[in-house]
Amino acid sequence: MIYLLVPDSDMLATNFSALLASSVHDIKNSLQELKMVHSQIEGILKEQKPTELKQLNFEANRMNNSLMQLLTLYKIGISQCSPIIDEHYVTDMLEDVVEQLSTLTSLSNIQLITECSSNLVCYCDSVMISNALCTLVNNAQRYCLSKVLLSAKQEDDYVVFCIEDDGKGYPENFMSSDYQQLPRLDLATGNTGLGLFFAKTIARLHVKGDKRGFIETDNNSQLGGARFKLYLP
Amino acid sequence: MAIDLASKKILIIEDQASMSNAIKEILRSMGAKFILIETSGVSALRAMRIKKFDIVLCDYNLLGKKNGQQVLEEARHFKLLPVNSIFIMVTGEFRMEIVLNAIENKPDDYLIKPFSLKQLSSRIEKCQARKDYMASIENEIDSGNLYQAIHHCKRLLVQSDDKKMRLQISKKYAELSIMVGDLNMAKDIYQDLQHERELPWVKLGLGTVDFYLGYYNQAINVFQELIEQYPMMLEAYDWLVKAHESMGNDVHATSSLNSAVTLSPNSILRQRKLALLAEKIEHLTTATKAYTAAINLGKNSIHGSSSDYSGLANVYVKSNSLDEALRVVNTINQQFRDDPEANLRAALVETEIHQIQGNKMLALQAYERIVNLNKQFSKQISRETRLESAKTFHLNGNSEVCDDILNDLIKTNIDDKIFIKNIVTMCDAIIGKDHAQVLIKQIKKELVDLNNKGVSLFEEGDSKEALVFFEKALAIMPNNHTIILNIVQILLHDLKSSNSDPRTSMIAQSYINKAVQLGIPHNKISVIQTALNDISTSA
Repeated sequence: MIYLLVPDSDMLATNFSALLASSVHDIKNSLQELKMVHSQIEGILKEQKPTELKQLNFEANRMNNSLMQLLTLYKIGISQCSPIIDEHYVTDMLEDVVEQLSTLTSLSNIQLITECSSNLVCYCDSVMISNALCTLVNNAQRYCLSKVLLSAKQEDDYVVFCIEDDGKGYPENFMSSDYQQLPRLDLATGNTGLGLFFAKTIARLHVKGDKRGFIETDNNSQLGGARFKLYLP
Repeated sequence: MAIDLASKKILIIEDQASMSNAIKEILRSMGAKFILIETSGVSALRAMRIKKFDIVLCDYNLLGKKNGQQVLEEARHFKLLPVNSIFIMVTGEFRMEIVLNAIENKPDDYLIKPFSLKQLSSRIEKCQARKDYMASIENEIDSGNLYQAIHHCKRLLVQSDDKKMRLQISKKYAELSIMVGDLNMAKDIYQDLQHERELPWVKLGLGTVDFYLGYYNQAINVFQELIEQYPMMLEAYDWLVKAHESMGNDVHATSSLNSAVTLSPNSILRQRKLALLAEKIEHLTTATKAYTAAINLGKNSIHGSSSDYSGLANVYVKSNSLDEALRVVNTINQQFRDDPEANLRAALVETEIHQIQGNKMLALQAYERIVNLNKQFSKQISRETRLESAKTFHLNGNSEVCDDILNDLIKTNIDDKIFIKNIVTMCDAIIGKDHAQVLIKQIKKELVDLNNKGVSLFEEGDSKEALVFFEKALAIMPNNHTIILNIVQILLHDLKSSNSDPRTSMIAQSYINKAVQLGIPHNKISVIQTALNDISTSA
């Protein structure tokens, strides 16, 4: 008798976590190398930097963000993920987002402005929140005209992170909708809404007493474009 | 807040050349002059033995035998990292798995791939600032002067208006208070913090204070609540296990630990602990599985131990798998040829196996090995294994050697209630009721006589003689609380009466540090520490 060495579906399911983890590991290494090479090229090209470089950096960030979100959502799905809550200075967190995206901002003519009181403190899982903010700022940079404003302030019992741009604003189906459902893929525009879905999901993991984190989207940006708000108790 | 890297010795541990070179270039551009790249954990540890590094950037997933966590554990264990050095773990994966497996040794920070140049430099700068801020505290902790460290915490809390640093210092202050046994202080600090906001580690801290105060039920509630809120918080599981154990509920302890091990199967210390607990409550399947896991994890870890092998062999004996047990014993004999402790453990199991199988000759041979090892290496052998061998001596009709060992174990561990209880349990089960109690009573009387003699020497005015007398006694019983406290009292007296000499102060401080380490109650130590401080400041 001949046994075929084909993993059955059960085996694949149980090993999926391991498969996913090792794939992510490989892809992350590649992305890191990509970023390093990118920096080197940028260093060589002192004067004229082609706009394709910017595109390259944007896509690398996007791949990374999607990957992290995918993994986090998967872990939340199998209940293996709870946030590691600690006290964080909001300025540090915003700084981290800016630094993560520093290459991109230096390449584009887009202004990334941050506004935050230096004393503002937030109780959250900073890695998760930074990741969500990075994705949304990365997207905002793509859809804005010239400016993105990343700010944070205390509003009653919540610390509110706000991302505003001066672009055309969110399309109808991205606003005031309930992101509880998995986003519908819009292949025509490439907007999956995964970033918002992710932000909503991790916001809800932040709980204090009877209050939970949540998000809001509208087009009331003081810059004239889209506005995203993340509320953490 | 630019950091000067020119004076820093930096080690990059990374198996991918393109990556390590890129990082090196970044660091160069930040002014670094001394950068070493190592491609494996083993070679990195070798380099750290030769040179002390100020900054270590270590990839978590390394090709070869050791991963980043094992490198960190070994470096800390052998004190290869200077107190104020920075260790940053670079990882591509979601940090959860990594954080989970680390029990005691956490890096100063994590850097998640892919990171930008700006993030790398900023991370190093922030770590350095934090280290610099805490340096005075950490230096004292490193030299064992916990009371001085506490003093620095208080000083910094008064001086600092940086809220972020204050939180760090408070955390340290509370931990140190627990370490010196000042539980009320720890409780006050945690309660003040909790007043502001309930953070997981603050709540955990309050639970541990309850635990140390002996309020086990209360502590268990806190830990269970924490686990409900934060199902991945493994420290809460570890404490829950301890609390169940202290209540004598080994079944609950085992099941809690089993949950923690399911979440972090790669933590060798948890696997070993699970094996021991499961063996105790006769869950032999769980014990076998956990010992086997511990053995595999131990192959590249500083925590690897021959005790996992002998433990596994014992479990096989209990479950009547004698062939399996014998196979493990042979492995021990091959792999730990020059380790008397391992040899003794192997011989103990082997004797039992051959006796069960009725191989008198082989059993006798193995027993002879026990006799010889006990004669030759009694000083190098752990107390647990000696207790085990005492049992075997008794079962083989050699009560004299058995009692010799028991007497020695009781004498050297008289202040360790848990171990003394283990001795009593063993004796009650194997030798007979009251056997241990009689021995303990005798030894206690001997110790009282000995102390009285030293004290009367001192009272007769011969403090030098008294000191020599107690120091000799301490050489035989290095962990005896009363002797250590008496020595400190004599030294304090000498310091007060004669012109205080800094060397004597130093010796007194080192005895106090030892007393703290041994867990002598805070109220006893704080008195002598205050007295010593008064003498030192007035000098």
